[in-house]
Amino acid sequence: MLMHDVSEKAYPNDRMIRAVQMDNITKIYEETGTLANNQVNLVLHKGEILCLAGENGAGKTTLMKILYGMERPDTGSIAIYGRRVHINSPLEANRLGIGMVHQHVMLIDDFTVAQNVTLGKEPIIHAVAYDEKRAEQLVEDIILRHHFSIIANQLVSSLSIGQKQQVEIVKMLYRNVDILILDEPTAVLTEQEIRALFVTLRSLIEQGKSLILITHKLNEIKAISDRVAIMRQGRMIAEAKTDSVDEYEISRMMMGKNVGSNIHKPSPVLSGRREIFRVSNVSVIKRDSGNPLLNNISFSSYSGEILGFAGVGGNGLTELEGILTGMLSVSQGTLEYRDTDVTKADTRKLRAMGMAYVPGDRLHTGVALEATVGESLIIHARHRLSRIGFMQRKKLAQYYRTLSHKYAIQGSMHMLTRMLSGGNIQKLILAREIDQWRDLIIFSEPTWGLDSASSQFVYDQIWLLKEQGAAIVLISSNIDEILSLSDKIIVMHRGKIVARFNHSTNEVTKEKIGTYMLGLAHQGATDDD
Amino acid sequence: MMQTLGPILNSAVVIMTPLLLAATGGLFTELSGMLNIALEGLMLIGAFGAIVFTHYSGSMFIGILAGILCSMLLASLIATVSLYLKANVFITGLAANLLVSGLTVVLSFKLFGNKGVVSFVNIPQLPLLHLRWIEKIPVIGNLLMGHNGFVYFSWLLLLLCNFVLYRTPFGLRLQASGLHDQVLVSLGLRPAHYRFIAFLVSGFTCALSGAQLTLNLGAYVPNITAGKGWIALVVIFLGQKRPFGLLVAACIFGLADAFSNFAQGSWDIPADFILAIPYILTLVAIIGVSIYTKRKSRIG
Repeated sequence: MLMHDVSEKAYPNDRMIRAVQMDNITKIYEETGTLANNQVNLVLHKGEILCLAGENGAGKTTLMKILYGMERPDTGSIAIYGRRVHINSPLEANRLGIGMVHQHVMLIDDFTVAQNVTLGKEPIIHAVAYDEKRAEQLVEDIILRHHFSIIANQLVSSLSIGQKQQVEIVKMLYRNVDILILDEPTAVLTEQEIRALFVTLRSLIEQGKSLILITHKLNEIKAISDRVAIMRQGRMIAEAKTDSVDEYEISRMMMGKNVGSNIHKPSPVLSGRREIFRVSNVSVIKRDSGNPLLNNISFSSYSGEILGFAGVGGNGLTELEGILTGMLSVSQGTLEYRDTDVTKADTRKLRAMGMAYVPGDRLHTGVALEATVGESLIIHARHRLSRIGFMQRKKLAQYYRTLSHKYAIQGSMHMLTRMLSGGNIQKLILAREIDQWRDLIIFSEPTWGLDSASSQFVYDQIWLLKEQGAAIVLISSNIDEILSLSDKIIVMHRGKIVARFNHSTNEVTKEKIGTYMLGLAHQGATDDD
Repeated sequence: MMQTLGPILNSAVVIMTPLLLAATGGLFTELSGMLNIALEGLMLIGAFGAIVFTHYSGSMFIGILAGILCSMLLASLIATVSLYLKANVFITGLAANLLVSGLTVVLSFKLFGNKGVVSFVNIPQLPLLHLRWIEKIPVIGNLLMGHNGFVYFSWLLLLLCNFVLYRTPFGLRLQASGLHDQVLVSLGLRPAHYRFIAFLVSGFTCALSGAQLTLNLGAYVPNITAGKGWIALVVIFLGQKRPFGLLVAACIFGLADAFSNFAQGSWDIPADFILAIPYILTLVAIIGVSIYTKRKSRIG
């Protein structure tokens, strides 16, 4: 009984095989002196889905980068299927059967799916040539076997984010990995895409693969994982069977304290609302492509109201952000700001009129990474803080102290901005933009990549602004965020407005919005505004 | 008309060859994501090395090989400093150009006691290819025949380059390192590795490019490259970073240059102005192409 029967009945026993065992892993980043992993232990059994949970900066990604050979641990050991190994590069990890799908897709847009998948391990013909045909054949086989929705000879630039992620998974399957790490795979996906991803993950498990999912979304942990491992501040806090813990326990372990249910449904502010910004029939057309990036968009933003825009990446949200902030010029239509025509106005003029803007690309548009924290903070107010062209250092320091205190920005004003954590950079931008705000503020992906404490801070600030009567435009691919903040919701698909909801009067669900985001449904010409 | 067109076409082909060769190598570094401004210096050291060693060895073949060696050595120096010691590639390239322009003068003075033009009377002449039956074809015959080996080699090299860049794993990875090098890193491959090879390739082709200049002339003129390395960079951009684009772009410059040589002798226009035509064309072409690409990608 013990000897031969290892085929199908062995499945329950498989769970006892340790695919990965990491012992006492410690990693210190010397540049910043942070202790990213502090004597961490982790076990992954064969055939299971393990969720590695924790706040941002808890050390999850570092631990997985160590397993994938991208970082070297300072101490500790790793065993794969019981055999002790040193993993010095992703290439070696691949050889050991370990693969990783990164949070930001690592793909070359100008290459085809097959080229991206086979890169680094290309099939060869005539001794030296790249065998494009065979590459496409091999990739197509994997795609068919796993029912992915991509085509091998498609250009990656034409794919949605969900499909790009499929390419990443195919890339790993092509390398015959059987231990797959996915770093926050659902961060940029819609509800439907997430469900499709989960089906894929399940089918991978059935084929005998073992998976580690990095995530901090509680519902996903419950929905997909067999076991959960929770990290906090570089330490492994707990490992448990997912069935044996509930979401509150997980979140308590992740954060060290219970999260209050701070997300409240917004109350409509109706009295004395004024139209602040009006967009009429705006289109943005790229010259050499037929499809407009924005197609005949009309809406208004009112004071004391949060107007949420939901959509999947590549469906016009970026362009919307661009036209609202004067970074992108419109092809047709008009923009009005407090009854002034600002169709041709640039960012400088809009900001002078009182628009504030918290950009989605906070590292490039939001701050200058090589500037000091002080410089990043005062850049909009430099005229106020200078006399005959010279900065007044005292005034500047005073200004910095006030703002950094008010918004709890850590670090000193002479530090380089890039040394700050993502959460602190966002606080810095918020501080500056709220200081700049007069009646209109535009937020794009305000909590993207932030942990829940920082996100909560951002939400609090947004509510505060709303109470003060700001007209707020919130552009976000995070449906939860849109649902919990917005008074009105507009859903975009392929550059068009496909749905409008009045959140304060109508029942809106995540699924409903997701359906529109994916273009599976379209509201008629009437809207319930 | 035919009498003037024939020679102009013929000399255009000769003039475009150094540009095409340098641009072919430069295409490798460009696609790998490095701005290689050292093409000029690499050409110059190749030009100097080739003729000096031809002079001493008496063999053109050994001379060219030695020129290639010099240029590739310099290329690997640039690559090492900028890729592994992480110096700014623009500064390194600039340094290489300055180094070579000084070094050739010093060596020329040391070896031949002359900082000016050194002519070598004893070295063999570049053999020219003549095939009667092709030469009989009007216009094209003039275009294709009567050139030295470098010309034909440059065409062959272009075909080879097209194959390597688009039909081999190496080409794929080279492009990947230029488009998004982190992808390679995530796969455990080293972008610096492909960039290094790209620099070596540019050293190789630039040496040939320079060798043609000096060996064709049978003399070494200080700064004989005269900005051709820079124009080769322009050729790369003008050719939209495609091998056959390079051919077209190099052709345009070759024609402009050949025309200005012709016009100098025949028309009553100040020679300085005529000699400036290729450079003016460079400027116009760059502005034109950048407007074109901007239009193409512009929104709204």
